Amino acid sequence: MDSKPSDSTAPERRPLPLPVKIVIAGGFGVGKTTTVTGISETPALTTDEPMTAIAGGLDRPGEASGKTTTTVALDFGCVTIDDEIKLYLFGTPGQDRFGFMWRDLTEGAIGALVIVDTRRLDDCYPAVDYFEQAKLPFVVAVNKFDGQLSHDLDDVRWALAVRPETPLVTFDARERTSIRDALLVLLRLALQRTTTAAG
Amino acid sequence: MDTHRPDDPPRVSPVRPFLDDGDGEGGGAPAGMPGGVPDPAASRVRPYMLTGGRTGPDETELEIEAQVVSTPAGLAALDRHLYEARDIVVLCATPMAVAEIAVRLHLHLGVARVLVGDLLGSGDLSVRRPGSGQHRNAQILERVIRGLEAIR
Repeated sequence: MDSKPSDSTAPERRPLPLPVKIVIAGGFGVGKTTTVTGISETPALTTDEPMTAIAGGLDRPGEASGKTTTTVALDFGCVTIDDEIKLYLFGTPGQDRFGFMWRDLTEGAIGALVIVDTRRLDDCYPAVDYFEQAKLPFVVAVNKFDGQLSHDLDDVRWALAVRPETPLVTFDARERTSIRDALLVLLRLALQRTTTAAG
Repeated sequence: MDTHRPDDPPRVSPVRPFLDDGDGEGGGAPAGMPGGVPDPAASRVRPYMLTGGRTGPDETELEIEAQVVSTPAGLAALDRHLYEARDIVVLCATPMAVAEIAVRLHLHLGVARVLVGDLLGSGDLSVRRPGSGQHRNAQILERVIRGLEAIR
């Protein structure tokens, strides 16, 4: 009973993939769900509920956003990396009152993409604070709504007061390849941290 | 009141109010939240009724991305289970993550976790959990990079 390379003749049950995960964080209405949906190979799973009157008071999407629903639980998608690894992307819940889920979402994660809308920079502060404290590799990804940036990137970096080694990139959450590139910046940062720690 | 100029390197800027509340360890929830508002997407049953009041699986907590599949034994003995447990074994004939089970069966994530934990214990499901420290494993990270680079 040793490891013979059993081929397709046997109805072999395929081994389960190794799951790895990246967190997609940021304030309310910054494009987290768009990002997860845009890169996921299967329809992203979202428990998206219309905002209730009560939540409407709490969640204040503000004039900056035309969003009419908000993610009350979590949304996620996946990308098959190769025959063994499956990458999951989990979007953090949009509201503070679901903050208790953050630990579950971030435990064991490769890192996080913190999505920023330059019109409402302060929305991402909790996420930035959290990942800095948790020492999780993260990249600040400025979402170019309508291809526009309303602030210079240097100003954004200064306002966020992120560490100089924290990468700051711009991307377009509606473009698959743009999401991919932002994720690659994160992965290279995570890899660099790993090799630095090891060597 | 100092004025802050961009070319100073002020590590603590007044613009990030939570910046300095660190107690040194990773972890606090991002902001104050007025205690548990239950997920309205879940069923009308109090969520942890389904688990006999238990809020976590018996062993260490199952990760939300852990991969779950029904065992042949589990699928052959569906009658042993009722309701959600049975639904999970049926659903997981196709492998999926714990989080996906929760979404597809409209279960609280915590509830799905407890039930999956039980079904693992009884041998009706098998699991592949993320290895500890794999997110800091260079080989795995390199493979993920290559996989993403292949996306067009």
